Order: sequence, then structure tokens, then C-alpha cells
Amino acid sequence: MFRYNINFSSPVPIYQQIILAIKLEILSGRLKTSDQLPPIRELAKILKLNPNTVAKAYYNLEGEGFIESKRGSGNWVNYKNIKLGSLRKGMLEDEFRNFLERALSLGATREDIKKLIEKDLTHD
Amino acid sequence: MTENILEVDNLRVKIGRKTILDDIRIQFKKNESVVIAGRNGSGKSTFLRCLANVIFPDRGSIVYNKGTTKEKIGFISDQISLFENLTVEQGIRFHSSVFHIEDFDYTLINDLKFDLNQKIKNLSAGEKTLYHLSLLLSQKPEILLIDEIIHTIDPYLREKFLEAVIELIDRYQTTVIMINHTFSEIEKIPERVLVMEKGQFILDEKCETLGEKIKSVVSEKEIPEEIPYILKRESSFQKEYFIYPFKEEFRKAFPHEYKELSLNDIIKAFVGGQYVKEGN
Repeated sequence: MFRYNINFSSPVPIYQQIILAIKLEILSGRLKTSDQLPPIRELAKILKLNPNTVAKAYYNLEGEGFIESKRGSGNWVNYKNIKLGSLRKGMLEDEFRNFLERALSLGATREDIKKLIEKDLTHD
Repeated sequence: MTENILEVDNLRVKIGRKTILDDIRIQFKKNESVVIAGRNGSGKSTFLRCLANVIFPDRGSIVYNKGTTKEKIGFISDQISLFENLTVEQGIRFHSSVFHIEDFDYTLINDLKFDLNQKIKNLSAGEKTLYHLSLLLSQKPEILLIDEIIHTIDPYLREKFLEAVIELIDRYQTTVIMINHTFSEIEKIPERVLVMEKGQFILDEKCETLGEKIKSVVSEKEIPEEIPYILKRESSFQKEYFIYPFKEEFRKAFPHEYKELSLNDIIKAFVGGQYVKEGN
């Protein structure tokens, strides 16, 4: 369903992982405004989650303005008022901080990291 | 807050001179999913059987919400014998007539490709459990009690079983109370975890916040005395402490990496801790 896998052993709460997964789908363009999200019960069954967990994720996404829930007809993607650019920037910064933390714990210097990034970017 | 569907007060069960359940007082809410863990013989199954009205307590009360009649309480255990000599279809008809069910839902039965003319006694243990569950589903249970059956079912049927339970939670706001030994597969269903020891609950926490209250720390040295732990696992080169209740100030008192634990590991630590206590 999502490209992003839910990691059951991760300390990150599952509902937050679902929120992140759906945001990633939106950022990558695989989910667009007026696409329908899987019904709560279906997603709970696919992922073997408590349906209340999925409901919580959808509820939060609705609060943040990413989706719209229509009574009786399900949940729909609707991010008209969201600036995808700033969302992307925020998520990228989070990812980068995680990377940096791991790299520094490996004993890498700032110089090492800079070189690595430059090398990989020029190779692309 | 959501209403309580079940209130247990001063529950006591004795078998001979042995106290199995000791003055238990606990409430369950509508639509809550709860898992009960604990070592063998701690009283979990007796507790569940009391809720299912299979065992009558020596003292105390179990009060269900008004309107929760006996047929709205489902109990699944591998020790329940079904109508062994009937066929699958006859069993469904019999069950439907007893519980006045007019529209039996064959979805699960069809999904599992059960032969309707097969005798129930010829079903495998896992199939019997699923069959039993499909009978219970037709009663639209308000409470489902599940006694340690997950590990007796093969992985395919287990998945079907979990899906059916998820359906119940969502469709009928069923309260699910299950006893389990292996958590990795059901880990994301329960919202609340109870650990039983010697007939009492020694842990009653919401899964969502439990991770903040228990952490593990690996150290070569002993940890300071003021840090409470429930289990210490020692090997020749390291000691791992399972800290509970965890407080943020421990990070200052003993600066180390405090690891987050999965529900599975948390329960193992609690159950394991009881064995160690016993040993001392």
C-alpha cells in the first residue's frame, strides 16, 4: 500500500508512522488531492493494527489539513492549503539531522561528511 | 471518558486453600483492547474464566454494563468443545437457532473455504478456533475474551483471526481482552497492558505511554541505587537493567543511553522480573 513500511519495533508511535507514510505519499506525488485513502478498517486489517490507531492518524492528518473526511464516504486527500515546499524542507531537515547524528557517532569529521556529500552529488 | 463496560470489584477465587485471584479491582472500557500477560499459574486464565462466567468467584462482583447480556460476551479458548458430531453447516444452524440469529454472516467461513458438510471434529485445532470465532461474530459481541490461542493457530489462520478481531473492534466497538504469551504479532492491537502475578495485577498501563515509563540501559558498572529496575540481565561483559518507573532525571544521575523497548520486550522484562524475585 505505502512505499514506506511501518516499523513495528520502532519506538516511534505507529499512528505517527502512518501520518509520515501518508505525507511521503503526498510529497512524492503518488497521492493527489481527491484521491481516496483506504478505509480505516481496511488499513487496520492490512497492517494488523488496532483500528483506533488508524483513526487517530487520519484524525491528526485532517487536523493538519492534509485530508478531509466526509461522513459516510471515507477519507480523501485534500492538501489545497498546505505548502508542500515547507513540508518537504522540514522532513528533509529531520532526515539530515538523523544522518548527521549517525555519521558523527561513527567518528566522521565535518570534512568527511562534506566530501562524501559532494562526491555522491557529483556522481549522480 | 468512555463508559465502563465491565467493573470488577474485590474479586477473589480460591481453589482448595490456594488463593488464585486475590481481591482484584479493575475496570474495562467500551471498545478498549487489553492484553493480559504474566507467568504460568499467575491467575490470568482463571480471571478470564471469571469474566466469561465459566468460573464463579468466592467473593466479589463482576458487573457488566446494563444491556450487555450473556450472548454479547464471547469467550474463545482451545479448551472449549464445539458440537463435534455436527457438520459445519449444522453447527451454524444450531448456533443461529439458539441465539436467534437470522442473518448468519458466512464471510469468514467462505473466506476460509470450509467444506460446509465436513464434521466439526475433523477440523484442525486452528480451523476450530476460526469456526468458533465466526459463530461468535454472528452474536455481535460487546466483549470478546481470548485465552492464549494465537500460538495454537498456523500463521495463515492467525492472520485471518487477527483480521476478524480487527473487524469486530471497528464494526461493533467490541471490547477485547486477551491473554497472550507471544506478542510480536498481536503487538499493535492492544491499547492497554496488564501483567498478573500471584492473583493480582502488578502492571496496568496504556501501551502508548508505557514506552516512556520503562527503558533499558546497558552498563559495565552497577547503576546507582536510586534508579529502580525490574530486571537485571547479566553476562560476563555487560549488565542490562530494565528501569521502571523511568524518570527523566536519571539521565543526569547516570548519563547513559536509555533504550526504548518494544511491548514484547517490556512484557518479557516484567514477567522475567517475577522469576528473578522468586529466585532470591
